[in-house]
Amino acid sequence: MRLFGRRLGSGILGAKLGYNPNSSSLGVDVTFLLFGLSAITLLTPVLSLLVRGIARPQPAPDKTPR
Amino acid sequence: MIARALRWLAAGRGKTTRRFRPEAWGGIVQLDRPSALVYLDRARARALGWDGGARWNGEAAFPGRLSAPLEAHLQLTNRCEAGCSGCYTSATAAGLPHEQDLEAWRASIDALAAAGVFHLALGGGESALLPWLGDVAAYAREKGLVPNLTTSGLYDEATLARLVAIADRFGQINVSIDGVGATYAKVRGFDGFPRADRALAALREKTRDVGINAVLTRASFDDLPALFRYAKARKLSQLELLRYKPSGRGRREYDAQRMTDTQAARLLPTVLALSLRHRLRVRLDCSLVPFIAHHRPSPRLLQWLSIYGCAGGDHLVGAKADGRLTACSFAPPEAGAPVRDLAAYWDTPGAFAAFRGWPAAEQPCQSCEYLPLCRGGCKVVSLHVLGRLDAPDPECPRVVAHGYTADGGPKKVRPSLPVIAS
Repeated sequence: MRLFGRRLGSGILGAKLGYNPNSSSLGVDVTFLLFGLSAITLLTPVLSLLVRGIARPQPAPDKTPR
Repeated sequence: MIARALRWLAAGRGKTTRRFRPEAWGGIVQLDRPSALVYLDRARARALGWDGGARWNGEAAFPGRLSAPLEAHLQLTNRCEAGCSGCYTSATAAGLPHEQDLEAWRASIDALAAAGVFHLALGGGESALLPWLGDVAAYAREKGLVPNLTTSGLYDEATLARLVAIADRFGQINVSIDGVGATYAKVRGFDGFPRADRALAALREKTRDVGINAVLTRASFDDLPALFRYAKARKLSQLELLRYKPSGRGRREYDAQRMTDTQAARLLPTVLALSLRHRLRVRLDCSLVPFIAHHRPSPRLLQWLSIYGCAGGDHLVGAKADGRLTACSFAPPEAGAPVRDLAAYWDTPGAFAAFRGWPAAEQPCQSCEYLPLCRGGCKVVSLHVLGRLDAPDPECPRVVAHGYTADGGPKKVRPSLPVIAS
């Protein structure tokens, strides 16, 4: 899937989903193991869009005539 | 439904959480709604406007060791009046001598924020007993960290009311409920279920980000369907399952309480089937990863979903009630280093050595393709059963089948495990 000419999800290496409130050990969400490797295909475009949504604002291009 | 989703997304806006932390291979972006830490390579991070600075000099492979933990587990107090028979911190009504006060925890949070930590897991003892718990949570938010909380629910109405009033300061609150009804008493040694249930209901009424932490034992394993039904009926956001640890008072009961090898081998298919049936998110703790690997899921998928075994001294650190730094909540303190010195201690040679030494693991871990993920299993169990933190997890199905013994003597093979289709 592509958006603005860029492949959605490219450059996403992984994700740790949710918060771990357990103060004794590190809990991780295993629900997506149900989907097998398709989980990566499902999650990458969604996370890519959400990450894009909070990306640092790019400086506006300088339009001053030179 | 769309309006509800938009309201949910909007509720996460404006929070002052840390957004990006550069790593040698790229960086980590934090999302609030849905809550996630997303790992980006350098090119993607750069394209989105983030700069890794000096950390991006030279080459580095993902995942490597992180520049700082993702989360810190703070034992705010060791005070607790519940007296659970398997308490891993041996909590008492008096607590520990020299427990940190609010100002000291604020200084610790300053240090964790400066190091780049994203999340806190606050616990005890019973930290809801502290009148300044809400101040700790608010201060963590102010510093860009997301505070999360574990609580027993075993306290009076005034304490519960105080906790409910500050519940929205936490990213997620889980109430420790190891089983429904009589099963609770089998694990904890007394019938605390009605009080824990009352706390859960009150917290859920205030916020939707409420779940359950449940310790798995041989007595509670077969009641997992009831626990999932209960969590669904209470409209909880997650169920987190934990392995019983031989730590604190838990050492005394460990052999009687721990899951059987057969139960451990059935764990993953059982919880995934229940998760699907009840449409409930389920989390498993790091010590259960050997039992996940037993079903041979794709290592790439495990890495992508950040499903790691022992991540002490890497993805997480802990702090005792007196502020001493640990690799995880069960580990002994690190040479007296306080958690407020985390940034300086992190790269010290020999820091968290027993936890970071997994690449040199013995057989059968050394030849296991899951070693970079599982990292040798739970070191607290290894220490208790075999006397060494760096020994292979003796309950891992692969280690059991291998017939590992700590002294290198004759192999004492335990009964073979049933083959469970993944």
